[in-house]
Amino acid sequence: MTNDEANTLLHAYIDGELDPAKTLELEAHLAGNPSLRAACGRLREMSEAVRLKADYHAAPAWLEERVRAALPAEPKNGPARPAWWGWLNPAGSLAAYADWLRPAASFAAVALVTWVVALGVLRPGEDERITQEVLASHVRSTLANRFYDVASSDQHTVKPWLSARLAFSPPVADLSASGFQMIGGRLDYIGAQPVAVLVYKRRQHMIDVFVWPAEGQKAEQTQTRDGFNIERITNNGMTFWIVSDLNRDELDDLARMLAERSAAP
Amino acid sequence: MTLAADSALLHEADPVSLRNPDSAPPHETLNERKRRFEQMVLPHFDAAYNLARWLTRNDQDARDVAQEAVLRAYRFFEGLRGEAKPWLLTIVRNSCFTWLAANRPAETVGFEDGAIELLPSDDDGPEMQAARNFDRKMLNDAIAGLPAQFREVLILRELEDMSYKDIARIADVPIGTVMSRLARARRLLAESVRAASNISGTQVPK
Repeated sequence: MTNDEANTLLHAYIDGELDPAKTLELEAHLAGNPSLRAACGRLREMSEAVRLKADYHAAPAWLEERVRAALPAEPKNGPARPAWWGWLNPAGSLAAYADWLRPAASFAAVALVTWVVALGVLRPGEDERITQEVLASHVRSTLANRFYDVASSDQHTVKPWLSARLAFSPPVADLSASGFQMIGGRLDYIGAQPVAVLVYKRRQHMIDVFVWPAEGQKAEQTQTRDGFNIERITNNGMTFWIVSDLNRDELDDLARMLAERSAAP
Repeated sequence: MTLAADSALLHEADPVSLRNPDSAPPHETLNERKRRFEQMVLPHFDAAYNLARWLTRNDQDARDVAQEAVLRAYRFFEGLRGEAKPWLLTIVRNSCFTWLAANRPAETVGFEDGAIELLPSDDDGPEMQAARNFDRKMLNDAIAGLPAQFREVLILRELEDMSYKDIARIADVPIGTVMSRLARARRLLAESVRAASNISGTQVPK
């Protein structure tokens, strides 16, 4: 790789947009080239300065309300009839269809009840499956010594890397001041969807934090399985599953900090 | 230069393919449509306003443009595929440039990408120095002073955390152009802050 090429790639590199092969190549080049390393450092500083110091202009709340109010909706006197209404009721008389509708309605009611019951019964099953999947992912990564896809202690490298590959942007907190060193991130597939995994380290313990968007607020949940502690929290629309062989108290601290950090952007 | 580096970019490959659970259900009522829009798109209203504010550089104009863009997004809601944020920002961005062309035509012309020298040479080292000491106001003024095309990619990248691929989609340019504009933006910014420091007598520490 020439210096010119390396210079060109620096921006993509600090933005976490370079593929692994080119990253390795560039890092090898950086190792042998102090001035390029310095340029890379200055570039990171520049990027950091903009992120930290440039004004973020949040919209005034009243403006959002005004826009919300301006979105066309139906008049207050009831929803417009959906398209199938005309087909179902061409003569405008519901009575002619009443006989036909009655069994259909009771069938629908039975189906609804079945669905609600099934939801209640299956819910714990889903949690159980996810528990197994996150635990398996954690153990697999430690067995294979493959902890991350992107290695970095910098949340500004890990977050964009993950965001670029997922349909959501996971909150990535720098907790090094509290003794949780971030070492990288990876992607995995949990509960039939691609998810972010943030990898932290405390002393010699590896901690995987699985993150994906959640619907609603679920109860916190802690358990111990096969010698691993597993915690689940949901906050601000995100679910976090934390898996580690770290002791429960310290893992609780981490869970609390993650919840705090994800609370306010 | 044309970017041979394009092929080294991660986004040449398709990202993890995703289910799209958000496509419009059949027979959706107007209220349901509005609710779905509020859930999917309005959470990104701050991003829309931030982009509009940085492109128009003025609160009042940003309000008008952002509001108009979101209402337009609502009209074209059926066209949403994939993620809502880059989709909304595309519309906001286009509204902004339309607005700029009508109201401040001087700001959208004269900055062709062709003339850009992409590579920062070794001698621009000192310019980039000590970014951590940048004065906040000076930095904001310097960003506001960038040509719109460069300001746009910088804001999308650093403040909205958009990927190169999304920025390319929003600004409707190839990924290689996103890279060169971003490189150019960062360099112009460094030069501009440095110049401002010298004028004001505050030395950028060496």
